[in-house]
Amino acid sequence: MVVRQTPSRPRSSRWTALGAAVLAFVVGSLPTAAAAESADGAPTTLTLAVSQPVDSLSPFLAQRAISTNIHRLVYDYLTNYDAETNEPIGAIAESWEVSEDQLTWTFHLRDGLEWSDGEPLTADDVAWTYTTMMEDEAAATANGNFVANFEKVTAPDDATVVVKLAEPQATMLALDVPILPRHVWENVDDFASHNNDQDFPVVGSGPFVLTGYEPNRSITLEANPDYWRGAPGFDRIVFRYYNDQDAMVEALRKGEVSLVSQLTPAQADALAGESGITVNDASGKRFMGFTINPGARTQDGDPIGDGHPALRDRDVRRAITMAIDKEAIVERVYGGYAEAAEGYIPSRYGDYHWTPAGDERLAFDPEAANALLDEAGYERGEDGVRVSPDGERLSLRLHVHNDRPDYVQTGQFVEEWLTDIGVEVQGEYVDPGKIGDALTSGEYDLIFTGWAVNPDPDYVLGIHTCDALPVEPGTMRSDSYFCNEDYDELYRRQIAEYDPQERANLVKEMQQILYEEAVVNVLVYPNTLEAYRSDQIASIQVQPDPGGNIWGQDGYWSFWSAQPADAAGSSSGVSGALIAGIAAGVVVVGAGVVFLVVRHRSATAEDRE
Amino acid sequence: MTGTQAPVTAAAGSAPDRGGEGRPGRGKALRYIAGRLLTSLLSLVAVMFTAFFLFRILPGDPVRAMTEGRSVSVEQMEELRRQFGLDKPLPQQFVDYCLGLLRFDLGVSYQYRVPVVELIADRLWPTVLLSGTGTLLAALLGLWLGTRSAWRRGSVSDRVNSGVALTLWSVPTFWFGLILIVLLASGADLFPTGGMMTPGTTGAVAVTLDVAHHMVLPVATMVAVLYAQYLMIMRSSLLDEMGGDYLVTARAKGLRDALVLRRHAVPNALLPAVTLIFLNIGLVASGAILVETVFSWPGLGTLFYEALSVPDLPLVQALFIFFSAAVILMNLVADLVYPLLDPRVRS
Amino acid sequence: MSTTEPAATPEPRPAPRSPGPVDGPEGATASPRRLARQRRRRALARFWRDYRANRAGLFGLAGLALFVLVALAAPWLVQPADLSVTRAPGLPYQPPSLDYPLGTDNFGRSVLDLVIWGSRVSLLVGFLATLVSVTLGALIGIIAGHFGGATGTVLMRVTDWFLVLPTLVLAIALATVLSRSVFTIILAIGVTAWPTTARLVRAQTLAVEARPYIERARALGGGHLHIMMRHVLPNVMPLVLAQTTLLVASSIIMESTLAFLGLGDPTTVSWGGVLQDARNAGAVSSGVWWYLLPPGLAIALVALSFTLCGRALEGVLNPRLRDRS
Repeated sequence: MVVRQTPSRPRSSRWTALGAAVLAFVVGSLPTAAAAESADGAPTTLTLAVSQPVDSLSPFLAQRAISTNIHRLVYDYLTNYDAETNEPIGAIAESWEVSEDQLTWTFHLRDGLEWSDGEPLTADDVAWTYTTMMEDEAAATANGNFVANFEKVTAPDDATVVVKLAEPQATMLALDVPILPRHVWENVDDFASHNNDQDFPVVGSGPFVLTGYEPNRSITLEANPDYWRGAPGFDRIVFRYYNDQDAMVEALRKGEVSLVSQLTPAQADALAGESGITVNDASGKRFMGFTINPGARTQDGDPIGDGHPALRDRDVRRAITMAIDKEAIVERVYGGYAEAAEGYIPSRYGDYHWTPAGDERLAFDPEAANALLDEAGYERGEDGVRVSPDGERLSLRLHVHNDRPDYVQTGQFVEEWLTDIGVEVQGEYVDPGKIGDALTSGEYDLIFTGWAVNPDPDYVLGIHTCDALPVEPGTMRSDSYFCNEDYDELYRRQIAEYDPQERANLVKEMQQILYEEAVVNVLVYPNTLEAYRSDQIASIQVQPDPGGNIWGQDGYWSFWSAQPADAAGSSSGVSGALIAGIAAGVVVVGAGVVFLVVRHRSATAEDRE
Repeated sequence: MTGTQAPVTAAAGSAPDRGGEGRPGRGKALRYIAGRLLTSLLSLVAVMFTAFFLFRILPGDPVRAMTEGRSVSVEQMEELRRQFGLDKPLPQQFVDYCLGLLRFDLGVSYQYRVPVVELIADRLWPTVLLSGTGTLLAALLGLWLGTRSAWRRGSVSDRVNSGVALTLWSVPTFWFGLILIVLLASGADLFPTGGMMTPGTTGAVAVTLDVAHHMVLPVATMVAVLYAQYLMIMRSSLLDEMGGDYLVTARAKGLRDALVLRRHAVPNALLPAVTLIFLNIGLVASGAILVETVFSWPGLGTLFYEALSVPDLPLVQALFIFFSAAVILMNLVADLVYPLLDPRVRS
Repeated sequence: MSTTEPAATPEPRPAPRSPGPVDGPEGATASPRRLARQRRRRALARFWRDYRANRAGLFGLAGLALFVLVALAAPWLVQPADLSVTRAPGLPYQPPSLDYPLGTDNFGRSVLDLVIWGSRVSLLVGFLATLVSVTLGALIGIIAGHFGGATGTVLMRVTDWFLVLPTLVLAIALATVLSRSVFTIILAIGVTAWPTTARLVRAQTLAVEARPYIERARALGGGHLHIMMRHVLPNVMPLVLAQTTLLVASSIIMESTLAFLGLGDPTTVSWGGVLQDARNAGAVSSGVWWYLLPPGLAIALVALSFTLCGRALEGVLNPRLRDRS
């Protein structure tokens, strides 16, 4: 038996302190809070501006970020990620151990857990959730990938869950699967059509309870005062819908909402100077870059698509990456709110982040890039565009998502830089659907990509293995048609490596291969820009700390920890302006109606005469 | 919305031409009605077919769009494809679609996983409220100003009226909305920047006031851009009437000008404007895409625009049919009502 | 106006065959060439005199001329390097100054340069989209009007069907389906805007063909093509021209709308595109008004100019309307 860490609470001392403080606050101020509430008449509310529609509130089906983020808040998971370090820590499970053969994981659950309807949360709920996903295809829609390697999940007693694996799986502490109450969900007939949005409050186990949902208008969560880690600071969280980024910022300025995420650099700069508003400039969870078509093919090796043949030449790919000035992208596209990238995993994940050593670097150097192409036999033609030794002009398509302004701007820079090394570029700024079509059909040369990286990097590494290539053209997991035996070997070793340090080393080696082959080229890690009203939110926990984000965390820390400021009234009430506005409207309408009625009367009277 | 409507002119006008086709005599009335009904039905069927095929050639894979950025396996994507019914061959999908239409079943949205009929029903009234109010106010304002303009043709107020109307008509709707937001919502802080109501508002009076407050800017945007058409059409048709013999007679009989205007000229001149209103009511459903987008109004327009990017095929199809059907229906109503309204046709 | 417009329009008078700058040779039916030229010159002079009387029309014409001049002169006013994103001349988001009269955009390019350069694409789209839709509309309208019967009915049913499809919705769908380019936008606008013209032209064709001299031409053995090209088209042209001018205005607005909805080609500088960039950069909420205001004003001014011209033209060419404006 290998006994792994058994953290009964967040490891960091700061967290313990905060937790204690929260607890003290909640317990100590209960009567006061109640009094304040009755005097004020309104519970404290944290309002968040969002735009993405909820696809489903059923954890079995939900794919969209907004839905999974809400599930983080209303359901507990087997494990969580530490607020400061992003390392896995306990949640429903308090401790765990792995068998010698690395195939059996035993989780010991926390005592006294309860669902929000008062029923006890037991190992049976956990086993039922996983088993249902393994047996019912519809239930596997959203998170089936997490249990694909499970052979059997059992609950020998109320506090113990045993998972038997087919193969060793290093991601067992990163199972992002909400645990569901069996006593509610086993009554569901068809998981494919059950959206969990009919009976409110929705029975859950997280720090908040889902109490209301109006599609594309609002989602309301109420605090769960009995949450085992302590009650949240705010009584209520409201997600309010805006479909325009500017409208969100205006709403923040006016105090209609307390928190706005995904700001543009210009918006962050404008908000930074305003009183009552705090801008949070968080290190990026995403990477942004482009992949080069290395000769798209199926798993059997049948070529697909029409990628430019010269791109199979590693020198050409490396020359292309050397022609791009990442620092300039950071400054001019992101206004400094980004980090120039080399390794595949963003720097916020310090354990996995890799940077090339000095002599391995493909630094921005157009002259060296030109020399490399000259040497490799790509001569410039009369129009300045290079021609391959086979006589093909180096004229490439560049596919860019048109719904992301930062991609579009970066694309325009890349076009101009590649022209400098004699590569002609045809910018294809198209919607994401077409980007996907171009990728799956292999009909592209350079194509933009970007992924949000989870604390566990397994998936984003897996999308560049030979296994991810399509069996036949169409659906595939691959993001690049990259296929390299050494890389695949390392991938297989890292998933079976239970020692975090060893695994991190393997992951770094994989990134080195990606970098050298220059098929997957990461340009920057864009920062996450958010702003909140400091006159409504007194404090809020970022993840990781320092430098982390508020919205879209891998835990519930931000909303759970947020403390209302003294005068946290987000309700501005009926203003004089409102009354004036309405009065004006009424006058106009009234005048119009009177006018028409008078006209109509006289007209009918005339007719009768 | 200002798109390709160009009826700020006297001669343009997208109304079905009732001049070319013989107007119904009393005996032909039934045949006329039947003919119109049949034509409308044919249009509707054509629209339904268009909806299916037009959107099938949209780029993109709904399954990929829905799972973007998610760590899903190929099996999960296939499962989703099966749930969406996209694993069947196209002819089979088309047959299912047609059979569904016969049962008024328009399918289940990919994005929301609820029947699209429910989604449309839910979003319909915000759109009708916004767009309907906008159309109504634009019509009232346009008709009123148009009457004044025609009556004082050539005066300073006529020139100013027409000039302002045409200028506003030339402004792109979305830009006007943005400028209003910058000036009045974020600048002067008089109105909310978007949305339809403040969440958590309760009580009938409070809700009504709140919604009205949210409506001011979007409605103002719509009215500003739309009222020119009514002004121009009213102005020119009233000028037409004013040259009519009966008016000359009425004036000769010594009736005061105001009375002549109110009792004789305006009611007759209203007819073309009423036709325009009918046709624009048909466009109410789809007319507010831009305004809804700019003001985050939770209506059908935003629903359609979002659905298109997935593409959420059942929803896009249903909305397309719905938008077109509204126009067809209102055209039909205009065709049927017009002969009843126009005294010259009746006689 | 839908009610009285079609059949009643112009009475047979020697229509000004070649109104305005479009001087087509198709009107030359008279045998002595000089006589024809003289008559044409006289018609032109009369046309100009009538047009000149319309002050709004003159304003429109002046505005139009200004914008066309700017668009034509753009290559001399703006250096291509000034539009480069990697070598942008200024810093991002500089407010208006002497160097940059309208400030700079998010890359540090001069907004004035963008507006000047954008006039090319916006006007081009406006003109070409109108050309597509007017050609299509005129063709279908004349054919439907001339042949009548089954052909006419079928063509008009198709027109009706296009009329009920919501324009913006259809244009968005088309722009999404086709590849991202200026020509896609042109096609999307052109394909959605033609039915109005078709209806108008058909009605006018019916009116023209009811005239006695068409009977005569037919009796003298004039074929379909001859009648349509020689007699109907010249008489329909004036109305079509007025319609064209108005359509250009709505096409330019439509272009900006589609660009604003993100359906344009982000690498071509157009007014709508600049507005979309401004909105994407968060200009509305970050107070960068100089990025937002000029392109919108430019669109409004051009659209207004075309509208005023179109109305003036219509007033001159359509005598029944003349005393109204």
